Amino acid sequence: MIEAQPEAPASFGERLYRWLDARFGVGKLVEFARHKEVPVGGHSMVWYYLGGTTLFFFTVQLVSGVLLLMYYQPGEATSYESIRYVTAKVPFGWLIRSIHCWSAHLMILSLVVHMFSTMILKAYRKPRELTWLTGFLLFAIALGFGFSGYLLPWNELSFFATAVGTDSVKSVPVIGQWLLEVMRGGPDVTINTLYRFFALHIVILPLLIVGILSGHLIFIQVQGMAHGMAHQRPDRPGLRFFPDFLLRDLLLWLMCLIVLAVLVYLLPYGPGIPGMEWELGKKANPLAPAYPGIKPEWYFLWVYQLLKEFPPHLLGMEGPQAALLVVTVLMGIWALVPWLDRRASRGQPSPMFTDLAIAAIIFMSYLTLKAWDIGGHGVPGKLPDPRSTAWACAWITLGLASVIAVLRLLAYRQRWMYFSGAALLQVVLNGILGMDYLIAGGIALVVAIGGLVVSRREPAPQMGVPR
Amino acid sequence: MTVLLPLLLVLNQAGPAPAADDGKLPPSLEALFQEKDKEGKLILGDPERTYLKKLPPHTRELIGKDVDALTVGGARHLKALLALELPSQNAAILFSDNCILCHTDPESQKKIHLFSADPKATQSSEILNLKSFVSDVHFRRGLSCSGCHGGSPANDVMTADIAARWPKADVRHTDRTWIPEFCARCHADPAFMRGFNPSLPTDQLSKYRESQHGILLLQQKDSKAAQCVSCHGVHGIRGPKSRQSSVHPQAIPETCGRCHADPKYMAGYKKDDGTPLPTDQLASFKKSVHGKALLEKGDLGAPACNSCHGNHAAMPPKVSSISQVCRTCHSQNGTFFDGSKHKQAFEAHHWPECEKCHGKHEIMKPADTLISDARDGLCGSCHAENAKDNPECNATARYFRSSLLELVASGQKLRPQAEALGERGLDAEPIVASIEELNEAIVQTRARVHTFDRGGFDQGAKLGRDAVAKSEALVQAARNEQRYRRNGLLVSIGLMSLLAVAMGLKIREIGRRRARASQERQGP
Repeated sequence: MIEAQPEAPASFGERLYRWLDARFGVGKLVEFARHKEVPVGGHSMVWYYLGGTTLFFFTVQLVSGVLLLMYYQPGEATSYESIRYVTAKVPFGWLIRSIHCWSAHLMILSLVVHMFSTMILKAYRKPRELTWLTGFLLFAIALGFGFSGYLLPWNELSFFATAVGTDSVKSVPVIGQWLLEVMRGGPDVTINTLYRFFALHIVILPLLIVGILSGHLIFIQVQGMAHGMAHQRPDRPGLRFFPDFLLRDLLLWLMCLIVLAVLVYLLPYGPGIPGMEWELGKKANPLAPAYPGIKPEWYFLWVYQLLKEFPPHLLGMEGPQAALLVVTVLMGIWALVPWLDRRASRGQPSPMFTDLAIAAIIFMSYLTLKAWDIGGHGVPGKLPDPRSTAWACAWITLGLASVIAVLRLLAYRQRWMYFSGAALLQVVLNGILGMDYLIAGGIALVVAIGGLVVSRREPAPQMGVPR
Repeated sequence: MTVLLPLLLVLNQAGPAPAADDGKLPPSLEALFQEKDKEGKLILGDPERTYLKKLPPHTRELIGKDVDALTVGGARHLKALLALELPSQNAAILFSDNCILCHTDPESQKKIHLFSADPKATQSSEILNLKSFVSDVHFRRGLSCSGCHGGSPANDVMTADIAARWPKADVRHTDRTWIPEFCARCHADPAFMRGFNPSLPTDQLSKYRESQHGILLLQQKDSKAAQCVSCHGVHGIRGPKSRQSSVHPQAIPETCGRCHADPKYMAGYKKDDGTPLPTDQLASFKKSVHGKALLEKGDLGAPACNSCHGNHAAMPPKVSSISQVCRTCHSQNGTFFDGSKHKQAFEAHHWPECEKCHGKHEIMKPADTLISDARDGLCGSCHAENAKDNPECNATARYFRSSLLELVASGQKLRPQAEALGERGLDAEPIVASIEELNEAIVQTRARVHTFDRGGFDQGAKLGRDAVAKSEALVQAARNEQRYRRNGLLVSIGLMSLLAVAMGLKIREIGRRRARASQERQGP
C-alpha cells in the first residue's frame, strides 16, 4: 500500500503570488509575459534595443535629477551658488551633475537614432501610427527638457543661450511677442524666466512625459514590436521577451552605464564641443555684454544654422519667420509620415520614405557641421570664414553621403535616391560651388519634386526585392 | 456697475486738460519754408519742420521774432542754425543772442567773422566752429559772446564797448600777457564763480603766476609761453571730464606735447643747468608704464603730465621733491625707502630717489631681473661705482632676486596645474584663490625690495612662501581626490564588467537550452 505523500508546503514567493493573483489577477499578466516575443529576422536586432537604451538614460535622468533637486535652490542669489555647492562641496555632487548632463545628451542621441531607425525600417506603418506619434511627442518633450534645464545653473553661457533661443519665438506670426513674454515671464530673460523654466523642467514636462511615455509603452506591449517588412528576409521564430530579450536589454544597459561612468570621469564637463559643454563658468550677469560665440545645444544646431542662412526678409516675411515656417512644415511632415506613407501601410516596399530619412540626415548633418564652423578657423583670433566652413562641411557631408549611398546600393540594392540626391545637390551647390543656400535649396526642391513625378510613373517595386 | 461707470468717466474727465500744442509756426517762420535755392528747390523741409515742432511754443515765437527782426537772415541761415539740433534750452539761448545770430549769417558776414558748423566749407577760421561753440561749457551755462567780448546779446548793431576790454587787435595777437588776467576776472572771483560752479577752484591765476609758464609770460613777457587758451582753447572750452576736452586726462599728454614735443617751438628754452630742454618727453611717456596704462588701457587713475608737474602751477619737480611726487601714488614704496640704508646715501649724493633707478618719463614696468649685482645690473652698476667691495649688499641683491623669481615661478607652475584639475572636474576655486594670495604677496614683496633689508623683505616673501605651500597642499589634495575618483571608477567598472560577463554567460546558457529543447522537439 502506497501512502499518500504529504504535499510540500508552498514557499513564501508562491504564497505571495497566489495572494496577488486572487486579488489583481496577475496571473494573466504573467501569462502574457510568458508568451511575449520579439521578432527575429527581417532586419538586425540592434534596432530593437534603442528604445530600451533611451528609456534607460531617461531613468538615469529621473534619478540624478531628483538627487540634484535635493540641493538646487532656484533664485537669483541661489541658483548658481547651489550648483557650485553641489559640484564643489556635496559628496559625489560633481558625479551626479555630470551624469545628469551626459545622460541628457546620450538620451537625445539614442532617441534620435531610435527615431531614424523606426523611420527607415517603416516600423511606424499600420497599425503603429500612434506609437510613432507618441514617440514624436516624446522627442519634442525631450528637446523641451534640454532647453528648460539649460538655464537652471544661471551661468553666463546658459543665460545668453536662453536669451538667443527664446528670441526666435518672436518670429511666430501675430502672437510672437506675446509668446516670447509668456516664455520669459516678461520682455527680457530675468529670474522670472528661470522660475518658469524650473517649473517646466521639474513639474510640467515630467507630468506630460509620464502620460505620453505610458501610452507609448502600452501601445508597444499591446501590439508587440514591429516585424520586418514582408518583402524583407522571412521571419524566424521569435525571441522570448522574458528572460531572453530582457537579459540582453539589461546587459546593454549595463554597458551603457559603464560608458557613462567612463565619460563622466574623463570629461566631467562634456567633450567641449559647442552645444555639448556644461562647465559652470561665471554667474549670469544680465547687464554684461552678450557672451561671444553663443550656440544652442547640438540637437538645435541645424535650426540655428538654418536661421542664419535665411536673409532678413523673404517673400514678404521676416527671415526668421520664413525659416521657422520651413522647420514647422518639415516637422509636420515628419510627424505625419505613417499617414503619408500609403505603401508601407499596405505592407508594400516604400523606398521613397527610406530615402526621405536619408535626405533628412544629409540636410541636418550639413547644417550642424556648418554651425560648428568646421574648417572655418583658418586665422587664429578671427571670426570663422563662412565660405571656408561651407567648403569643408560640404566635402565631409559628401563623404558621409557617399558611404551611405554605396552601402544602400551594394548591401540593400536600394536605387530610389531622388530625395537624398536632391539634398546632396544642395550641399554641393552651396558648399562647393558657392551658390546661395536658399537658391541651392530651391533647385534641390525642384529636382526632388521631379524625381517624385518620375518615380510615380515607374512600376511599383516587386515584393521580395529588398528596398 | 452702471452707477460706477459714469462716475469713473466723470473722474477721468475731472480737472482742466493742458492746452494741446498744435506745433503751429509763426507766419514769418512759415514763410521761410517757401524760400527756394538757385535750382528752385525748397531750402527748408520736413527735418527742420519736425525739429521746430518739438520746440516749446515760446521758442518758436522767439525764432519768429528773429525772422521779423531780420537777425535770422533767411532760410539758408535758419537751416544752418537748426542743423545744430540743439536741446530746446540751448536753442532758446542761441536764438535770443543777436551776436550769434549775426555772426552765423552767411549772407551778411565776411568769412573772417563767420561762425559755421563746417569752417572748412565756409573758409572761415577753425576757432569760429559753431558746433564747438555751442558745446562750450560757458555757452551751456548761458554765458555767451558778450561775456568775454563785451556789448549785449540784445544789441543789433556793433557798439563801441565791444572788444573795448582787450588790447587793440595789433597788440593782442602778439602780446598774450593780458589773457590770464582777463580770464581771471571771473575765474579768480569766488563770489562770481559760486553762482556757476561752487566747487571750481579760483586760485588758478595765483598758481599760474608761480608757474614756469607764468614766469615766462608775465615776468619775461614771452608770449610763446602757455597761457589759459593754449591748453583750454577759445570757443569750445570743455571741462576736464569731457572726453572731447583738451584737458581730459587722456588728452593732456598731447595738449602739453603740442609745444613740448615740438623741437622748433622749444628751441632756445633751457633747463636750470643750461642744457637745452628736451622734446622727447611725450614719446618717452607713451612708451612708459604710465603712458600705456593711461592711453592704451584707458586707466584714468594713471598719471598724465599734470599729475607730476602740476597744471596751473606747472613746474618741473626739483630733485628734493620728485620722490614726494611719486609717493602721492606709490606711498608704500616711499615709506619703505625712507627707512632704508639708501635714504642717507641718496641724500648725500643729492640723487633724486625714485628717478635714479626707475627713470622719469620713460618709466618701465620693473622686472625682477633688474635686481642684480652684476656689473650691468641695476644694483651692480651703481654699487660698482659708489659702494664696491660690499659682499653683504651683493648677497642681499641676489637673495631678493632669487626669492622673487622663485615665487613667480611657483605661481606660473601652479596656475596650469589648477586649470588642469579644474578641467577634470575637481574644485579648483580654492587653489585659484590661493594663487591670487600668492600674487598679492608678490606685489607686497616687490614693494619691500625698497627696504633694501632682508628682514623687511622677508615679511612680504614669507606671505608668498606660505601661499605657495598652501596652494601646493591644495593641489595635492585635489590630486588625491582625483586618484580616489579614478580608483572608484576602476572598481565600479570591474564590478559591472563581472556582472556583464555573468549575464552574458546566462544568456548563452539559455540559448543553448533553447537550442537543445528545439532539437528534442524536432526529434532525431
